[in-house]
Amino acid sequence: MRRVVITGLGVISPFGAGVGSLVNGLESGRSAVCYMDEWAGYCGMNSHVAAPSELKDEKKIPRQQRRSMGRMSIFAAQAAEQAVADAGIDLSGMRSDRMGCIIGSTTGSAISISRAFETMLFKKDLSLLPASMFFQCMSHTAVINVAQYLGLTGYVMATSAACASALQAVGAGYDLIRSDRQDILLCGGAEELHPSVTGSFDVVFATSTKYNRTPDKTPRPFDRDRDGLVCGEGSGILVLEEYEHAVNRNARIYAEITGYGTNGSGAHISQSDSGSIIQCIKETLGNAGTDPDEIDYINAHATGTEQGDREEAAAIREIFGPSVPVSSLKGYIGHTLGASGAIELIASLMMMKKNMVYPTLNLDEVSPDCEGVGHVKRPLGKEVKTLLKNCFAFGGINAALVCKKLIS
Amino acid sequence: MNEQEIIDITNKVFEESFEIEKERLKPEAHIFTDLGLDSLDIVDLVAELQKSFGVSIRNEEKVRDIRTLQDVYGFISAIKKDNE
Repeated sequence: MRRVVITGLGVISPFGAGVGSLVNGLESGRSAVCYMDEWAGYCGMNSHVAAPSELKDEKKIPRQQRRSMGRMSIFAAQAAEQAVADAGIDLSGMRSDRMGCIIGSTTGSAISISRAFETMLFKKDLSLLPASMFFQCMSHTAVINVAQYLGLTGYVMATSAACASALQAVGAGYDLIRSDRQDILLCGGAEELHPSVTGSFDVVFATSTKYNRTPDKTPRPFDRDRDGLVCGEGSGILVLEEYEHAVNRNARIYAEITGYGTNGSGAHISQSDSGSIIQCIKETLGNAGTDPDEIDYINAHATGTEQGDREEAAAIREIFGPSVPVSSLKGYIGHTLGASGAIELIASLMMMKKNMVYPTLNLDEVSPDCEGVGHVKRPLGKEVKTLLKNCFAFGGINAALVCKKLIS
Repeated sequence: MNEQEIIDITNKVFEESFEIEKERLKPEAHIFTDLGLDSLDIVDLVAELQKSFGVSIRNEEKVRDIRTLQDVYGFISAIKKDNE
């Protein structure tokens, strides 16, 4: 099997455009969560907080390529462009059928889907729909728009696994490069905020509702007073590349991906389950040939829900005990859903680069059911040679990835 | 509606929906080769013209004959006259 490394990073996050903005936000220890005025107008919507990303510079994308992009695709295109530049890739000289992209999201553009149905259901006039609307609504809208925008002609695939979409995209890219089907893949995820997105969690009582007037205090991963998740938006894209390919062009290598695993719980449609999470993490560590005590940092999925955090903590406790540092980034940027696996993996790679673990924001007092884990409550200087990234999703889907720093 | 009003409204559609600078909107401009529209854009052009002029042209065969901006002005003018 071939080796796979990460050579480029790009991100649009609630902290702004670029990896630098994300790192600055995390280092400042502030929250990007805010009160969403207009959401209070939806009857039955109890959570009025979210972590929006700013949409800007979209007109730099030529109109004919932008017309099929909803909000999430613009985020994805901008993050992909950053990642390509960061990797030092000159697309004009490198495009081939061995270079493609895999990008996931929970659904197509939620804003566009809402607009399309408002037109169809209330105006009952299909002629009012723009020709490009369907391309914004399709489940694979982010990946097709990135592929068209950058002119990529290799594999173009979308993963759709809700909150595990981005990590599954990175995992699928890892498998395709490892097995000699592709040489370079842009992998990640994208998501956009809309009341229907937060509403899908709100109706199953998974959102945070007690902190609408103090948005920076929520979500609270692993905390005693956590009360649910807060949705965020943005996109994270990583350039995955075959090791020799990267070395031959003198590319900067952030880390090597050494293991990936994904499974289903077969237990419950919405509730996480520690048994299947344990199985997924063990499979991933086994694939990586890494023992639990070799992991220096775990970037948790922990969204701040009562049940999800408890199950993840139980799994981490079972495999790693209290000695491995663990943190969740949801307290800073909310849960960016289909983008979270990529945005948080990028942040974790920056922790690896800086030898610094960013703590779990809003973790003031560890909940008794989340104890026995190496929670990081303040910035921790530590060499991170090997890290584990977790992502879990509705439908009982688990995914995990191991990355290792390359020692030259 | 006089000819100048038709030109102004049509040009506004090209400026706002297709982001084409005012200076490029010359009557002889070919909407595909000079203004850069493609087949998907034509669907949106028809929808915008319908909205702006309050006419129904989606199923008009003559839409297919449109090549230049002047053709658009003439087409709308003829439709408006037919409707009067």
